[in-house]
Order: sequence, then C-alpha cells, then structure tokens
Amino acid sequence: MSWQVHLPALILTIPLLGAFVSIALTKPRLRNLWFTFILAVTTVLAFLLWRRVGIYGTLIYVMGGQSWNFTLPSGMSLPIRIIMEVDAFGAFMVLTGSISALASGLFSIRFLDRVHDGNKFVSLFLLLLTAMLGLEVTGDLFNFFVFLEIASVASYGLIAFWRDTPEAIEASFKYTVLSTFVALLFLIGVGILYGVYGTLNMAALAKNIQVGFLEKVALVLFITSMAMKCGAVPLHMWEPDAYGQAPAGIPCFLVVVGQASLYGMFRIAFSIYGQAFHGSILAWIVVVFGLLSMFIGVVMAVIQKEAKRLMAYHCISQTGYMLMGIGLGLLALSSPQAMSEFGFTAMKGGIFHIINNAMYKGLLFLTAGSLFYATGTTDLNKLGGLSRNMPYTTIMFAVAAAAIAGLPPFNGFVSKLLIYESSFVVHPFLAVVAMVTSILTLASFVKVFQSGFLGPSRENMTNVREVPLSMIIGMSVLCLMILTLSLMPNWVLSNLIEPAARDLVNQASYIQAVMGSGLQ
Amino acid sequence: MTIGTVYTGFGFWNVYAWMMFFALGALIVLCIRSTGRSDYEKGTYQDEVFYGGNPVPQNGQDLAVPASSSYWGFTKAIASFYNLLVGVHTGILSDYMGLLIATAAVISILILL
Repeated sequence: MSWQVHLPALILTIPLLGAFVSIALTKPRLRNLWFTFILAVTTVLAFLLWRRVGIYGTLIYVMGGQSWNFTLPSGMSLPIRIIMEVDAFGAFMVLTGSISALASGLFSIRFLDRVHDGNKFVSLFLLLLTAMLGLEVTGDLFNFFVFLEIASVASYGLIAFWRDTPEAIEASFKYTVLSTFVALLFLIGVGILYGVYGTLNMAALAKNIQVGFLEKVALVLFITSMAMKCGAVPLHMWEPDAYGQAPAGIPCFLVVVGQASLYGMFRIAFSIYGQAFHGSILAWIVVVFGLLSMFIGVVMAVIQKEAKRLMAYHCISQTGYMLMGIGLGLLALSSPQAMSEFGFTAMKGGIFHIINNAMYKGLLFLTAGSLFYATGTTDLNKLGGLSRNMPYTTIMFAVAAAAIAGLPPFNGFVSKLLIYESSFVVHPFLAVVAMVTSILTLASFVKVFQSGFLGPSRENMTNVREVPLSMIIGMSVLCLMILTLSLMPNWVLSNLIEPAARDLVNQASYIQAVMGSGLQ
Repeated sequence: MTIGTVYTGFGFWNVYAWMMFFALGALIVLCIRSTGRSDYEKGTYQDEVFYGGNPVPQNGQDLAVPASSSYWGFTKAIASFYNLLVGVHTGILSDYMGLLIATAAVISILILL
C-alpha cells in the first residue's frame, strides 16, 4: 500500500504539527526555516493529492479505521467515523490554497523580524492553514464546523496581531462577533440535519435528504453563514476592516480562507442538496449575491484612498464573479440542456476565477504589503513615484492589476470571458454588470498605479528601497502562477478546472464514493 | 485542440494569436515612431516639463494629483448614490449585525415560502 493513501490525513497533520512545534521555536532563524519547510511540504502534499485524485478519482480516507461505517446488530450500517472525501473540486481548492499560503508565508518571514513574538504568528498562520485545508477535505458537516471555528479563531489572532493598534483590535472584534454568530447559525443547521437524519456525513445526507421545511431552514442557515464568511454583499462589511488591519502578508492568505467558505457554500448547494432542492430560487439567491458583490464591491473600491482597503473591496467584487459563475451552474443543475448551453461554461468560469483571484488578488495584497514595508504607509495620498525605487514591486503590481482587470492576455480575461458569454445567455443584464465591474476594476487599479508608482518622486520617499529578497520571492511565486495560468489556459481548463466542475456537478459520484452500494 | 486555444462554447480565445497580433501592432507603432524627428537631445530644454506655462513645482507632491481626487467627476456625477452607499458602511458592529439578520430574513422568506 502506497504511503500516498494517507495524503488526506497528512495534508492536515503536517501543518498542524508545524503549528504546535513553532510555539517552542524561539530562535528566529530556526523558526523561519521550520515555517518555510512546513509550507513547502504542505504545498508538495497538495500537489500530490491533486495528482492522485486525477489518477484514481475521489479519495476517501477514514480516520482511525478501515471502513467508513459502523454496523449495528440489527444490520443497520451508519457512517459515523471521521471521513475525509477529496474529489477534484476539493483537490483543486487545496492546491490553490496551499500555493497562496506558501507565497504569503515566504513574504511574511521578513516581517517577523520586526516583532518579538514571531513564533505565535507562525503558529496562528499554520493553524489557519490546517483549518482551511480541513474545510476543503472533510466529508463531514460537523467537522466542517470544527474547522470553520479553528479558522475563525486563528484569523482573530492574526487580524489583531498588531495589538498596539486600536484599529486592528476593533477590526478583529467585529470579525469575532460576526463570525461567532454565523458559526452558531451553521451549527444549528448541522443540528437540524442531524436530528432529522441521524448522520453528519455529507454523502449520507445527500443520499437521504428529502427537502422539507426543516431542511430548508438548515439551508437558509448554511447559505447565510457561508455568505458572510466569504464576504458577499451585504454581509461584507467586516472585510475591508479586517484585511486593512491584518499584517502585510495575511490578507493574501485570508483571500483563500474566504474561498474555503465559498467552497462550503457550493459543496452544500451542489453535493448535499443538489437536485433534491427543486426550483431555481437558491441559484438566483447565489446569483444575486454575486451581482451585488461585484458591483457594490467595485464601486466602493473606486473611492478608497488606502491601498489595502481598496484591494479588500476588490476582493468582495471578485467573489461576486465566482458566485455568479457557479450560481448559474446551480441554475442549470436540473436541466441537462441548460447545463450544456451555459451552465457548465459558467461553472468553469467561476471555478477558474477562484484560482485566478487567489493568485492576482494575493499578489496585489503582497505588493500593498511591500509598499507598507518600504514606506510605512499604504495611504495613496502620501505615496508617489515609487516605480524608480521599487522596480520589482512595480512590475508585479502591473501584472496583477492587468490580470484582475481582465486585460488580455492575462488569466483574468479567460475566466471573465467564460462568465460573460454564459451569463449573457441567461440575461444580457448579468453580462453587462460583469463587464461594467471589470471596467471599474481597471479604473481603480489605474488610480493605484498612478498614485503609488507613477508621477514625480516625493521628497519624503527619496530614500525608499526595494523590499528584501524573501518578500520578492513570495511575490514571484504568485506572479509566476499568473503568467502560467495566462499562457496555458487550455491546459489549466482541461486538467484543473473541468474535472473540478464535473465533480461538483456530479452529486451521484460524490455519494457513491463514500456510500458504495448505499446506506442500508 | 490548438495550443493555447480556449473554446467558450460561443467562440474561442487563443492567447498566442493575441500575442502575435500585439507584437505586430507594436512593430507598426515602432515603425511609425522611427519616422519621427531624430534631433532629440537629453539634458537640454527638450527634457523640461511643460506645466501649462507655469513654473514647475520642485516637490513632486505639489505636482501630483492625489488619489482622493481621482475620478472626481465620476463620483460627483453619482454623488447621491455614493452618499447612500457610504452611509450604509457605518463601521458600527450593530449595523453589521442588523444587515446580517435582515439578509437571513430575506433568504428565509425566499426559500421557505
């Protein structure tokens, strides 16, 4: 038996081990080496996991046991053990998240030199990584809740890491209250389904669910909580505060953590409820969330003068594209004709946008972090002419800004093209909103480029120097990913995106992978 | 499948074809540029910034348009919309909670009824 059968467990235990050990590492050099090692190993494991899912199909891993079920003397068999279920969509999310975490971690290393309790930062970072990956590999609703809570607690600590700053404490407090409230909503939803079906396994629930009043109540609670966690408008207001105050490398990582909540929403909508939920209202709710997020996010971004807040609003806006793309796939779920006409293309666009956003939005946050590291501010009114002092940061910002604005030939263009064309089939208004959002995205990044990097040098910026090598390497990881995604779009679609979209749509295979011949 | 081609179901996109056309366009631009005047000399009056005929400020800060003034016309034209939107973003936690409850209520009505 290959050791790779344990990959779904290893992908969680390695960063978890890293988190606990790093607390004891007080020597900065050793701690940094350990941090880099754990991040690199996790990324390699994520790649192996993705490759294995591609070869063998959906992976099932039972924690502490050989089989998923427990058979009662009566012959009834229940899936009670902790089960990891990794299909192509989960593996895609794991890979995306790991790469972003690697870049964010490498970028953060030099920041750790400026704090005396860097080992706590590393510990929280790796705990957040564990939780994010756990959300994406678990096959159990209660464990999903547990990982959601671990992610939240680690995020509170990281957002408030500059604890001498009142704004950071305030941002973290707001996120704590909102997160705790929606976690409670989620837990009530889990409790309802457990009360009705006596199981928490997602595949078992999906197999047995018959949507009545209680199941609908649970669905409302799940959708509301996941919409808040991923920052969909109008539940987005914590995001600019939190992203604006977190240490420089962290918002890049929080982007993919937010996407894990988006993953949860789609997993519940497609894999648990799926076609059992008749009607299109759920899909339209997701699409409207997407439309509002796209437009309100970008309109608010245009008027921001603080780079990280501006980028946080863009993050909300980009989440809107994903919600709309995959929401249109949900709309087409019960009609094979609609799925072939526009649904699958929209889903490909939405899923492609997930990895695109993780890379270019992550890179934009890192460039904002570079500006802060080099100048001590991200207030665009105080910056100017930095392209001469920070050439590498400038180039990487330009690449990321062009990609997020959907300028060809960058990767953002391809995913947006798929979303425009498929949404146009449903209603031209959807495509128009998506295009206007893209134009405003370009406008606001032109503003950042002009204010921060172009123009004459300022007197107080003459001594500014390029950021250290480790930060440039962190940014380069994401820049390289953007260029790869841009230059190989058809390979990415065939090998990463389409298998993920197929597995997300195919509820039967998700159930079959765990339940086999079925729940008795 | 052609290398670099993405079929959208409605059309297609080829990144390499786009880059070739971009390179061709750039070549044409360079050709046109090469027909321009060649008497430019660095370090002479030709390098001086034209600032509407006024003296050029020494500090770049006095010359640059601040970020908060960017797109002034756009924001002014839809000021009432922005007033509403910014007014909703109060930064007060109880307002955030209110929006969360209201959104949950709307979703409940849509899904349960």
